[in-house]
Amino acid sequence: MPSGETPGSGQEESSAEPTVLRMLLGAQLRRLREASDISAEKAGYAIRGSRSKISRMETGRVGLKARDVEDLLTLYGVADERERAKVLALAKRSREPEWWTQYNDILPDWFETYLGLESAATAIRTFEMQFVPGLLQTEGYARAVTMLGHQTSAPEEVTRRVGLRLGRQDLLTREKPPRIWAVMDEAVLRRPLGGAAVMRAQLRRLAEAARLPHVTLQVVPFARGGHAAASGSFSILRFEEQDLPDVVYIEQLTSAVYLDQRTDVEHYLEVVDQLSGEALTPAETMRFIQQVARDAGDESI
Amino acid sequence: MTAGEAAAPGDGQHGQHGHLEFDTSMAHQARIYDYLLGGKDNYAADRVAGGKMLEIYPDTAFTARANRAFLGRAVRYLAGEAGIRQFLDIGTGIPTAGNTHQVAQKIAPESRVVYVDYDPIVLAHARALLTSRTNGATAYVDSDLRDTGKILAHAGEVLDFTEPVAVTLLSILHAVVDADDPHAIVATLMDAVPPGSYLAISHAGSDLIEPEALQALYDSWKGRLQQPFQWRSREEVARFFAGMDLAEPGLVRVDDWRPDSGTADTNRAAMWAAVARKR
Repeated sequence: MPSGETPGSGQEESSAEPTVLRMLLGAQLRRLREASDISAEKAGYAIRGSRSKISRMETGRVGLKARDVEDLLTLYGVADERERAKVLALAKRSREPEWWTQYNDILPDWFETYLGLESAATAIRTFEMQFVPGLLQTEGYARAVTMLGHQTSAPEEVTRRVGLRLGRQDLLTREKPPRIWAVMDEAVLRRPLGGAAVMRAQLRRLAEAARLPHVTLQVVPFARGGHAAASGSFSILRFEEQDLPDVVYIEQLTSAVYLDQRTDVEHYLEVVDQLSGEALTPAETMRFIQQVARDAGDESI
Repeated sequence: MTAGEAAAPGDGQHGQHGHLEFDTSMAHQARIYDYLLGGKDNYAADRVAGGKMLEIYPDTAFTARANRAFLGRAVRYLAGEAGIRQFLDIGTGIPTAGNTHQVAQKIAPESRVVYVDYDPIVLAHARALLTSRTNGATAYVDSDLRDTGKILAHAGEVLDFTEPVAVTLLSILHAVVDADDPHAIVATLMDAVPPGSYLAISHAGSDLIEPEALQALYDSWKGRLQQPFQWRSREEVARFFAGMDLAEPGLVRVDDWRPDSGTADTNRAAMWAAVARKR
């Protein structure tokens, strides 16, 4: 799962609004408009604007005001209150400052986008080659990962970066937590980040997380040879709304790639499906984590 | 009609037991079903096949939803009125809302559910998503329906075969062609469970759809589908329940089986369904 901690990821101009959420909402509004066969001019007129205002909204370049969204939904014949409430809630979320705005100074905007999506997702599938998924990291492990990219940073900044990382984990204990389904390469369990003691604590955390009903962990052991995700780590975020497509997130050195075109997404879905079929089952994974912990000198898990 | 031949890709697997290859270039029954139910775990080939079905027979989506709703009502009946605490759910499919263990354990938290599927990816989804939150149990068996010995051996590790078991075969038997003798398969499964056990089946009905439409469906699946498909008549479906007592209202359209009160839209789905008790 993403870290947003790649070296050199300094802040650029940081937008307070989650870009992709806006894009998703915009795409949804466009589909609704096209389905009801209404021109952009007519839609623009209905919200006291122009064709280009509709275009900016539908491509996610501007924030969505509640009144505009309400009027458009009415114009497009969306009468179902639940459906309207869902869209409006998303529109609201796309405007609101989130908990991570306090970290704006250390938060690159490409990663802020991810945080917005992550908090809106109902299911997160991820494949990790090297690191424990960010949502399941202990503080010690998170610190060790952070130090990899920020060795020369002031201790205070490192602490804040770790705080940002741990802050994301609040979604695991919220009322309706997302489903986390993580497939990890065996290397993730074997690489002792932060030293043996930190890693033992991290393995314990993984074993605890695996017992949560909304968390599924699977390991692809070295013994399985090469596997389908030769290209590297990625996450697929899924949203409850039927209209919203899955989004694939791939972190790069100084930026990130977001894919939401069906043909692109499907390729990653296929890989993660394949991996889930090849990896150890959740029950086998639990025993595997316990074995790795014993190898690392911890008999207590 | 020689349905098994019509659905040509089935020929390769026909008679073979075991895993299904993960092949997203071919449509897959579980994923078409996911598509028809509005899920997101399907691929282009599944949507093409599903879209074709909707074109030929627009009530395909209604039938898929009706079948899913039947699962809920049947399991509620079994866990409630019939007092069943053990379920053998064969042909699990891709998890969606209201899966067997959730429905059963809501009524009786101690319910034990064994899910069986022969597709490793479907099974991976089941293991990830179909987890008990109660003192009951869920287990997963990786087996072809035709391999009844394997199913019963593994299910026996979780279920007590001296106590009644509900065997649910929903929207799966039409993927078993006559050459594989589905009636013998069902008989073998029901022989293994004690009197007072139940059998629930839903099955695509060849006499619930125009013959031309059915032929067009078979034609549309040629070379496209990973599984064979053989729709059966009411009489053929009734034979699965031979020697058993059908629960009211008997063998009916899947949407007509004890519809929830206030359900006006029934008598439409192209699928037969019944629940029966073993004497």
